[in-house]
Amino acid sequence: MTTPLKKLVTAVSTTVALMGAGYATADIQIGIAGPMTGPVAQYGDMQFSGARMAIERINANGGVMGEKLVAVEYDDVCDPKQAVTVANRLVNDGVKFVIGHLCSSSTQPASDIYEDEGILMITPASTSPEVTERGYELVFRTIGLDSMQGPVAGNYIASQNPERVAIIHDKQQYGEGIATAVRDTLKDKGIEIAMFEGVTAGDKDFSSLVTKLKQANVDYVYFGGYHPELGLILRQARQADLDAKFMGPEGVGNKDINTIAGEAAEGLLVTLPPSFDEKAENQDLVKAFEAKSEDPSGPFVLTSYAAVQLVAEGIEAAESKDPFDVAAALRSGTFETPIGTVEYDKAGDMKSFEFVVYEWHSDGSKTPVN
Amino acid sequence: MQDLLYFSQQLINGLTIGSAYALIAIGYTMVYGIIGMINFAHGEIYMIGAYTALIAITGLTALGLAWLPLILIVALLCAIIVSSSMGWAVERVAYRPVRGRHRLIPLISAIGMSIFLQNYVHLAQGSRNVGFPALIEGGFNFSADGAFEMSLSYMQITIFVTTLICMTALSLFISRSRTGRACRAVSQDLGMASLLGIDTNRIISATFVIGAALAAVAGLLLGMYYGSVDPLFGFIAGLKAFTAAVLGGIGSIPGAMLGGLILGVSESMTSGYLSGEYKDVVSFGLLILILLFKPTGLLGKPEVEKI
Repeated sequence: MTTPLKKLVTAVSTTVALMGAGYATADIQIGIAGPMTGPVAQYGDMQFSGARMAIERINANGGVMGEKLVAVEYDDVCDPKQAVTVANRLVNDGVKFVIGHLCSSSTQPASDIYEDEGILMITPASTSPEVTERGYELVFRTIGLDSMQGPVAGNYIASQNPERVAIIHDKQQYGEGIATAVRDTLKDKGIEIAMFEGVTAGDKDFSSLVTKLKQANVDYVYFGGYHPELGLILRQARQADLDAKFMGPEGVGNKDINTIAGEAAEGLLVTLPPSFDEKAENQDLVKAFEAKSEDPSGPFVLTSYAAVQLVAEGIEAAESKDPFDVAAALRSGTFETPIGTVEYDKAGDMKSFEFVVYEWHSDGSKTPVN
Repeated sequence: MQDLLYFSQQLINGLTIGSAYALIAIGYTMVYGIIGMINFAHGEIYMIGAYTALIAITGLTALGLAWLPLILIVALLCAIIVSSSMGWAVERVAYRPVRGRHRLIPLISAIGMSIFLQNYVHLAQGSRNVGFPALIEGGFNFSADGAFEMSLSYMQITIFVTTLICMTALSLFISRSRTGRACRAVSQDLGMASLLGIDTNRIISATFVIGAALAAVAGLLLGMYYGSVDPLFGFIAGLKAFTAAVLGGIGSIPGAMLGGLILGVSESMTSGYLSGEYKDVVSFGLLILILLFKPTGLLGKPEVEKI
């Protein structure tokens, strides 16, 4: 459809809507795109719960420039192919602001479409550096990068003076990316990497891998990937009496790893964003989540909340609903959010974001170790 | 010695997975042997077996039952009953009405059934990975002077023994029983068997039920061995078992057993000596090579084209 024609159609349909309904102020649609189903749906739950809460609270405070925010939700199953379909549906639905996607491998292909179609995207969870490496104008995130998280994990492992370290990853953009960052940090410190190997996401049998880890006599194993695979590796390693310390990124840090690994999850090390829900200034918000019996402690709940808030404040700062104006406002402003003060660099990354090493327990709780 | 122990450990790992693949592969090969179609929903039947067993185990534990053999037997029976009825129903609903039509129609119907069952479990049980309680723990350890210790867990022994019992029972059933003989007759010539008074519909149903029961056994065993189940659990296992069936010669029961073991061992050896990343490459590469040089599979009989 050519642009003038598109405008005409929009104008006509808006007029019809105005005449028909009488009350219609044009709402601002906020697309939330992430996994509602599939193996990592629990992270999607965090994302949707944080974003819905932000939309609810912003609307209760009078909305944005007098207009209400309306959530439009999409399920990408953390699958790159579905993510592209979702992105195209968002384009057709006329959504201009997207909170998502969650998995880096979904965010990457979807962001190509958003950038081309002039849609602003803020991912609350994708940590792969490549997402913001392409000089896109409309791509932002409210989370750190693997290139920040990897060194935190690598430095921690190095500080424990391990003799032999194995690094396993799930061959996906996120897992392999972070595993590579950990490997590079450890190499710089002169620590021997006994193994660097991929497994297939969705695989269930890791007995051969565990045997190999045992043979290599490693004392530390770093896993880049998500909890369904690491949970099984932990469990099968315990059954085979493999005596090694395991560590993983925030993709393994949720309570589902306990239902899979059981006792074997005790002592697992995880790098996570700091617990924003424990900050004093967020206690009001935490109560609001608890009133809805939702859990604000997941790593992506408040990052999603912050992403919606940034869209709202960006629109107000720019005094425009045009995604390009909002992007410019986000790059030039400083914003106070539940995840701290947010300032953006040119690429769309936050200027500062820290990761913390936690020790995971078999009852699903965690304690900081450094 | 160290290397020998490592090799034996990988061999045990491979044979464990291989025997479970063989149990699932029987379902593919029996159905193909009798009506010449691939039952793509078979992987889902296996997944449902695993879920049923898990539900039964959770329920029995919640009721306060603590005697392990009883829990396992009841879980196994539940899994077999639910999966077999599912196998029977799938045949009645999706395959019998289209039997005898163009080959593509039952194939599409099978794929549809598979998608339906997968999504049904997604809806009914949620899409998350569910942990399977570790019921059989411990095992034998063998160690030489070196640091590496080979272990043979009780779970692995359970898998070998159960597979062996199932395979022996199936072979005896096929070769000795009246229904077994009827199965063989129907697989040789369906039309002729029917003319000679064999109730072919009943035999075909029986084939589905037997395949589903064996898949349910595999579902319980692998669920416990791996430690978790999810609704997509059957897809990959089904693909592997189908490969095993083709590798050994589809339509041949000893072929399915052999194919399963070869596939399992080749996977674990590739992970053990090359890298886990290449395990599917090697298994499927092996399949292509065998099909190139022996298109009927290892133990398959060349099919005589009937005019």
